[in-house]
Amino acid sequence: MNIELTDVTRTFGRNKAVDGVSLAVGPGVFGLLGPNGAGKTSLLRMLATVLPPSSGTVRLLDRDPGKPAARTQIRRRLGYLPQHLGYYPSFTVAEFVEYFALLKEMPAHQVPKAVAAAVERVDLGPRARARLRTLSGGMLRRVGIAQAIVNGPDLLLLDEPTAGLDPEQRVAFRALIRDLGQHATVVVSTHLVEDVGTACSEVALMAEGKVVFRGTPGELAARGEGHESGDSALERGYGAVLAASRRQAPTGKTVQQ
Amino acid sequence: MNDPSLNELVSGESRSAPNDDIDLDRVWVNVAAEVWRRHPGRLEQAAARLLRSPGLARALFTTPALLLPWLTASAVVLAVGTLVQAGAGQPLVWLIAPAVAAVGIAYSYGPGLDPAWELSCSMAVSDRLVLLTRAVAVFAVNAMLGLIASAATLGTHASTPAAQLTFAWLLPMTAACALALAVAVTVRSAVAGAGAGAGAWLTLVLAHGATASAASSAGGWLSAAALTSAVTDANLYLPYLAVAACCAVIVLFATRPRRGLP
Repeated sequence: MNIELTDVTRTFGRNKAVDGVSLAVGPGVFGLLGPNGAGKTSLLRMLATVLPPSSGTVRLLDRDPGKPAARTQIRRRLGYLPQHLGYYPSFTVAEFVEYFALLKEMPAHQVPKAVAAAVERVDLGPRARARLRTLSGGMLRRVGIAQAIVNGPDLLLLDEPTAGLDPEQRVAFRALIRDLGQHATVVVSTHLVEDVGTACSEVALMAEGKVVFRGTPGELAARGEGHESGDSALERGYGAVLAASRRQAPTGKTVQQ
Repeated sequence: MNDPSLNELVSGESRSAPNDDIDLDRVWVNVAAEVWRRHPGRLEQAAARLLRSPGLARALFTTPALLLPWLTASAVVLAVGTLVQAGAGQPLVWLIAPAVAAVGIAYSYGPGLDPAWELSCSMAVSDRLVLLTRAVAVFAVNAMLGLIASAATLGTHASTPAAQLTFAWLLPMTAACALALAVAVTVRSAVAGAGAGAGAWLTLVLAHGATASAASSAGGWLSAAALTSAVTDANLYLPYLAVAACCAVIVLFATRPRRGLP
């Protein structure tokens, strides 16, 4: 398993952002669904080794990220796209991707080819030498994806990756992560249900810091039978599971599988 | 195509496979890699060898390109330097000044002002080492500007404050930060590096202060003026510069490009 979480909790003051999450995830594309404030981003930041857990154990790529040497080894094999990708306006696309490839400690002689391949994979070749300040929001998102995949990561964490992408780019992106998921563990955090339905082999739904559902997109869709709100079967399943979790939350129970 | 390296890339692919089987995508990636790559200058190559990390070297050389953090960090460093000059003879100011400057630089390149801070925190190269590298860059560039300003204002009323700021604050702090970075890179620990830098500064201030005090008051307690004389004594400026020049020569020699190595 590339990700093993056991009873992981993260608190900010009195607020429990992630509450006793246990997950084991192997290679493939794993969708993390949930409404705003469900704890998806906090969970992803812990997986990215940016945020330590308040309690519980985290193992990534069979290593303990709490130990500095192991953390460095994990980070060499990690790709991360944060929810809010900050960028340096005066850098070009290629310079930005190259900078982070070097900070990932890729062997220097491999970096130029890896940068070119990553930039081409997100279809930004024609803008490779453009300054980041001249790019649109969707293009910047693709720059973020390029830096995340430049090292051919074994663990790829994408927080709202399709935000700002147009429909054609979203289709291309889903094909890209399906391809990457053949060898790596790809975790896609999103609140867009259709992204999960077409790209993910497995999905977890979070609400109020807990995982309230885990299964395949088909199983999630099946939960929506009889539920009225939502345009697609997946959206109805999403709505039904969330509604059930809200009903059960006061009693402290969850519907986790 | 006039660039020999590009010709080689394309012809290399052509030689390795029959014409029908040329993988154009691969050829294009090779060409793009050569065209788009940022060729590091000699200084950056030397820094990469010295720091044993092309990533740290790139962080060092791109530091001034992050304009807002750069301006904020420089403003903090110069303000603390001015405070140090105003507080001449007050040891507490001297002893806490480096910590104040370090906090200012950390804030400048922290989550508030560095747009890619979150991303940087997930990188294999430690974000603390990157911060230490950036501190060296901030002090070194400002020290160079200070040297130029001191030379340009020589003989005018502005000469003394510019020289004091440069020789009594920017140059010693550049040296202390460089030592901290050297230790951090050697033992791969930013905490150990920061400790070494702080220790060096403390030793410098106390040791020279003790010497000056012993000479003036026959072994009495350290006077405040004596304590800070390591960085206020104009007679030491030339020796400092000589030591810095020797160190620079040693570093350049140690990091010279070797045949057959990138």
